[in-house]
Order: sequence, then C-alpha cells, then structure tokens
Amino acid sequence: MSELTVPNSTAPAGGRTVVSEPTAETGGRMTIRPSDIGDRLWRIFTSMRTALILMLMLAVLALVGTLVVQAPAGMASDPQAYTAWLDTVRPKYGGWTTPMDMLGAFNIFSSWWFKGIIVLLTTSILACSVNRFKGLWKTAVHPRTRMTAVFYDRAPHSERIDATVATDAALTDVTKTFKSHHFRTVVERDGDEIAVYADRFRWAPFGTLAAHISLVMILVGALMGSFWGFKNAEFAVPVGSTVDVGNGTGLSVKATSFSDSYYASGAPSDYAADLVVYRDGQQVGAQTIRVNQPLEAGGVTFYQSFFGAATDVIVKDAGGAVLFDKGVPLLFSSNSGTDRIGQIVLPDKGLTVLVVAAASGEVDPAIKAGQVQFEVYKTGTSTPLGIQVVNQGSSASLGGVDVTFARERQFTGLIVSRDPGAIFVFGGAMLLVAGLFLVFFFPSRRIWTRIVPGPSGAEVRVGATSRHDATFGPDFQKIVSEMQRSLVGTHSA
Amino acid sequence: MFKMSEYSFIAGILSIALAIVMYAVSFASVRVARRRTSLATVGGGSMEGGSSVTVVTGPSNVATYGTLLAWLAFIFLLASMAFRAIATGHGPFANMYEFSIAFATGVVGVYLYFERRYHQRVLGLIALPIALLMCLYATTIPATADPLVPALQNNLLLTVHVAVAIVAYGTFSISFAAAVLYLLQAHGVKRLPRAELLDEISYRAVVIGFPFMTLTIVLGAVWANVAWGSYWSWDPKETASLVTWLIYGSYLHARVVRGWRGDRAAWLLVIGFGATLFTYFGNLFFGGLHSYSGLNNNG
Ligand code: HEM
Repeated sequence: MSELTVPNSTAPAGGRTVVSEPTAETGGRMTIRPSDIGDRLWRIFTSMRTALILMLMLAVLALVGTLVVQAPAGMASDPQAYTAWLDTVRPKYGGWTTPMDMLGAFNIFSSWWFKGIIVLLTTSILACSVNRFKGLWKTAVHPRTRMTAVFYDRAPHSERIDATVATDAALTDVTKTFKSHHFRTVVERDGDEIAVYADRFRWAPFGTLAAHISLVMILVGALMGSFWGFKNAEFAVPVGSTVDVGNGTGLSVKATSFSDSYYASGAPSDYAADLVVYRDGQQVGAQTIRVNQPLEAGGVTFYQSFFGAATDVIVKDAGGAVLFDKGVPLLFSSNSGTDRIGQIVLPDKGLTVLVVAAASGEVDPAIKAGQVQFEVYKTGTSTPLGIQVVNQGSSASLGGVDVTFARERQFTGLIVSRDPGAIFVFGGAMLLVAGLFLVFFFPSRRIWTRIVPGPSGAEVRVGATSRHDATFGPDFQKIVSEMQRSLVGTHSA
Repeated sequence: MFKMSEYSFIAGILSIALAIVMYAVSFASVRVARRRTSLATVGGGSMEGGSSVTVVTGPSNVATYGTLLAWLAFIFLLASMAFRAIATGHGPFANMYEFSIAFATGVVGVYLYFERRYHQRVLGLIALPIALLMCLYATTIPATADPLVPALQNNLLLTVHVAVAIVAYGTFSISFAAAVLYLLQAHGVKRLPRAELLDEISYRAVVIGFPFMTLTIVLGAVWANVAWGSYWSWDPKETASLVTWLIYGSYLHARVVRGWRGDRAAWLLVIGFGATLFTYFGNLFFGGLHSYSGLNNNG
C-alpha cells in the first residue's frame, strides 16, 4: 500500500526476493550504533514487530475485560464498597478471586498493565510517524524520477517493449497511456535516454500517517475527558423546579414538563422532557429532550435517561421564613421496595427531612395514595425527631420546622456531562476513518519508464517496485499492454 | 409484508443450500477429473504441478449453476430484508433475527464480489456454509417485530452502523475462508488455489473490511454518545469489537513483518474471525447496553 521506510517490509507474502525502494528515497532511517541505548530504543519503538506485539497484547487484555466481570466504574475508589462487590463475585471465581484482583483482572481498563501498554503503543506510534514522515514527504514531493537499467532487470514488476517507433513518438504514447489512467508524469531527458516517472494518488500514503496520528488524538481526547470532564448519571430534576448543575459550570436547569408514553404491549415508546438551561439567571438553552435528542448548552450536554415520582415540599422555620420550596425527587427505594424516598438537607438547621411515598403499584398500609410521610432527623443520626403522614396541601410541624406537602410531581432523570476531550475523540475518529479509506481505496501507484533508442525503434522498459497491494499487479499489466498496443503496430512505418 | 419477507428468506436459505451442493459437486468432480488426468499423464507429470493450477475454472455447468444460485440467494435475502424493513419501518438492527439475516446477506454479497474478481469458487465452499448457518440460526429466533424502545429510535445512525458492520463481517468471513484454504494448502491438501492467490484474497478482504470495521466502531461511539452520554463505556460488546479491530490491525502489520507472513498471518485471520463471531454473539454471553438481542429491554 503505502511507501515503506521499514527495511524488511517490501517483500510480498510469497516470500520472493524483491528489490526494495531505491535507498535514496528511504529517508528517515536512522544509522544504528548498537552501543547507543537511545538508538536501540528508537529501533525497538519504530519496529513493526513491536507494534504488532503491543497490539496483540492490548487485544488479549481487552479480551480479559470482556470475559471477566468488571467492577462498576468508580467502585475502586471506595474500598469498602469494592470489598463488598468483590464478595459478590467470589462465588463465581472462588480461590482465584484474590489473585485475580491483585493482577487487576476486575479493573482491567484502569490497571497498570493496560495503561502501560497504551503508553508504549502511543510512544511507538509517534516514533513510527516521525520515522516515516521524511520518507513519505520525499516520495510524494521529490520522488526519484530516474532509474538505472539494473532496476528494470530486478524489479518485481518489469516489462520490456521493443517499440516500432522512435523515442520521441514512444514518449508521446507512454505519457498518453499514463494520462489515460490518471497518472501524473514527470519526464527527464539525459542525452537520448528519456525517463518517465508516473504516479497516482501520491498523497494517499499520508492516509496511513493520518490514521496513526489520529489514534494518538483519540487517546489525548480520552485523557482530557477524564481530567477535565464530568458525568453525573443521576441528575434528577422535578418538573417545575430548577436544579444547579454544579461542577463549576455556573449552570442551572429547569424542567417545565415531562411525559412518558408506552406501546400497547407496555414497552416504553417515548420519554420527553422540556428543559430550560440558565446561567446566572439568563436563559442559555431550551429544548424538548428525548432519549436520542440531548440538549447542549453552556458546554454541557443533558440527556434524557430515567424518570420517577417527585413531590413539591415547602419547609418553613418557626418564624414562618421559607427554608425550602422545591420539588423533591423520590430517588431512593426503601429496603422493602414498597416505598420511594426523597431527601431534603437543611444545612443551616442541621436537619434532614425524608419524604416517603408508596411506590407506584405498591401498597403501604401506612401511607395511602395522595399522602406522604415526613420524617425529620438531625443530620447524621437515625432516630427521627418526628414522623407524620400528611395529605396533599397539608402541613406538619416536626423537629421545630413546618413541612408542607404542596403537590405530587414527576421528575425527569438526566445524564449531565461535559467532555472537553470529546471533540478530539470524534475529530480523531473522523481522521482515522478518512485516512483508512484514503489508503485502502485510493492506493498510491508509482511506475518508472525508461526509453532508449533500440535497433529498430525505441526500447521501452517499464518497472515498479513491489507492494503488498493485491490490485497493483493486474493494473500494471493492463497499462503495459495498452502501451504495447500503441507502441508496436499502429505507428509502424 | 412479513409473510413476503419470510417466504423470501426461506427461498434464500434453499438457494444457499443448493448453491453449496453445486459447488461441492463441481469441486469434487474437478478433483476426480484432475486425478484421472494426472493418472493418465503419469510419467509426463505435467499436471502434478498441483497447487499452482487454479481449480474450478473449466466450463463446468454445475459450477455455473452454483453461482446462479448464490446470486439468487443474495437477491432473496436482500428482498427479505427489504420487505421486513418496509413492514417494520426501520433497518435490520432491532433484534438478532434481523441482524442474522443481514449478516448472511453480507457474507453472500461479499463472496459474490470476490468470486467475480478472483473466480475461486472453492471459497464459496467455506463462505456459503457460514451464511447458511447464520440463516439457520435466525430461524431459531422468534421473528417478532416488537416496537422500538426509545434508545433504538435513532434510525439513520443505526441503519448505517449495521450496514457498515455487515460489510465488515462479510469481508472478514471471506478472509477467513481464504485463510483456512491457505492453511489447508500449507498442510498438504492438494489442488487448492495457489498460496499467493489465497493470501492476496485474504489481504484484499481485510483491506476492505478494516476501514468498514473502524467506521462501525466510530458510528457505534457516536450513537452511544447521543443515547447515553458517553462515547465509550467498556461495554462488553464494545470491548469485543475493539478486540476484533486490534486483531485485524495486527494482521495488517503482520504482513510486513518477516516471520509473521504466511501461516502466522493466516492464523491471525482465523482468530480474527473467531473474535468477529464472539463480538456478534456477545449479547448472548454478557449483558450490556446493546439491548437488541431481544432478550432484554433496558433501552
Ligand atoms: C493501535 C495501533 C495501530 C493501528 C490500529 C494501526 C493501523 C495501521 C493500519 C490500518 C495500517 C495499514 C495501512 C497501510 O497498509 O498502509 C498500518 C500500517 C503501518 N503501521 Fe500501523 N497501526 C498501529 C500502530 C502502529 C505502530 C505502533 C507502528 C510503529 C511501529 C505502526 C507502523 C506502521 C507502519 C510503518 C505501517 C505501514 C505499513 C505499510 O505501508 O503497509 N503502526 N497501521
């Protein structure tokens, strides 16, 4: 396919011995003094064998990641939760669990194995790209246009045509043939010898370079995302309420409506929420979001993800000052599963208020439909200061505050994320795909021709170096036989 | 429309099966004919060049019928997919039934492209059974057309994602077929196409398949980003597709590393196809976000 600057790479799979690219063109190769450790490292990192082995090692690690259950993201940073999680997989892996854990098998993608290989691979890709750039540039911009007779004797693709026309007429025919195959030609004369260099898609080899660089771009984008991005997958916004996004964004989001619809079978067909996003009270975005239609505003993206019941609650202190007046999403489930629970934290008072309602479709004899139960605690304790069931529109005085159940609501559950690296990841991905299609579907072609006077007309020799490109041979033959037709016959005197 | 789709599908299965029979008969009879010829020319020994002779090129009627049937199968399968797409209003991505037919169609289509190009029907003896098995697998899955859960409703992106995957899977099947023949040939099975030709076919197939596989993964990432808010989450299916991609990437490098050409490269293709199937059937082994297996509905 593309030009190579790697010494051992020009032979085809058949194992024939072939002529490699003329050395004048294989720029970028280092002179190697084995004693020099830098050179040695350079040689290792620019070796295709290294690339191959690293890629296979990465494949094996990723395979382990699909075969072994992976701990949920973020779990590893919470030792207690992680130990508990480890116990849940212990029955499956038995005595292997501990050694596997020590080897990072449950966290493959954050393990040192994985990171190490990624670092080595990235280094290698960069080294290869640097190594190849000079040669690629030279081949595309200043190609060697003239070959000696020896080249044609030994080139893997080589033909000789004894033309019935003289050299200048032969030159016309040769260039015409190349032109009709969309080749660019460069003609060089030296005495009565004419050299014609023809190439096509000479920039295509840069596709390989672009593809390799794009991999680095994708990795850089992924790193940026993990350093400067955030993702909150449990962001609940009760309808009618405004919730701060936090994470230093200065944004807040209000849900003005939510609706869920279903097919007759009961399977969900659509979830839609109307959102308005504010920065410092100024609206910066508004949209109806659905599962595949997120809203982007202020550098943050809001995805529809889940939904559930919420209640509007007003909390006042003894003097009647409003401490809280908002929707409370009932995000948690009671252990029994019969209730849904929401939580209000009042930091100034050191109080926590729980809002408990019967889960939809469940019956809690204590809390009827249309009622909620308020429980007030001193934050951090588990003995309630007061518990009371109230109807919609009613209040209860508990723990020194006055709590009102204003109305029932729904909340919409969002995934809120900001990923400043995503643009690099997708940019890199586009470059990768474009590069690969360029290399593989517009393969670069280079053919040398030498025209010298022969006994009965011009002697034309056509040659090309080998490429591991299956379509090159037939194409070469086609061009040569077309030349043959015009050089031998029609013009004959 | 569902009925039409089903009838086309059955016609497709029958055509593939018959095409395989034709190819097998033609391959066997050429072998027999060759053996007779070589017996007749013992001493001259001109036919014993064996491996360099291309097989099944003669004006064999049986082989021609095989090709015809393979084309019929391709058309029937395409028609089956088209009818179903009209009936359901979306591309073939909602469950394993639809996707398996698409897979089979891809294998047959890519095979036919390679047959036209290289005239090696013996490839069909491996590729078409893969397509047949895919079809038979599809028959074991209920062909119900459930309405789409919200996450699958982004039609265009998903249709392209699957269409591109099908091309990749089809080409990988062909490279697998050529690699198997290469290995058989390297281990003494006679009268198969030349090693270099098989190697060339494998390579050609991967060269087409690799960019398509890359595009599949990229489109999958775009979709995940739109639907779930992250382009990559190490979901087992994603990870398996990455493994497949890395193996074929290694293969492209292997071909230029001395000591990795030939046998080892062919083995990489066999492993690569194993990874392809693992990616494809992955839903059955592990859960994950790819909910179209029809076994769960967490969209
Ligand atoms: C995940 C990592 C990598 C991927 C996916 C990848 C992908 C590819 C692909 C698809 C090609 C084929 C293009 C062609 O034939 O021109 C290629 C060629 C090449 N790669 Fe990589 N590569 C990776 C890593 C590396 C590394 C680490 C090196 C450096 C040692 C490297 C060096 C090369 C070279 C020199 C070629 C040109 C071979 C040729 O001209 O055929 N690659 N790579």
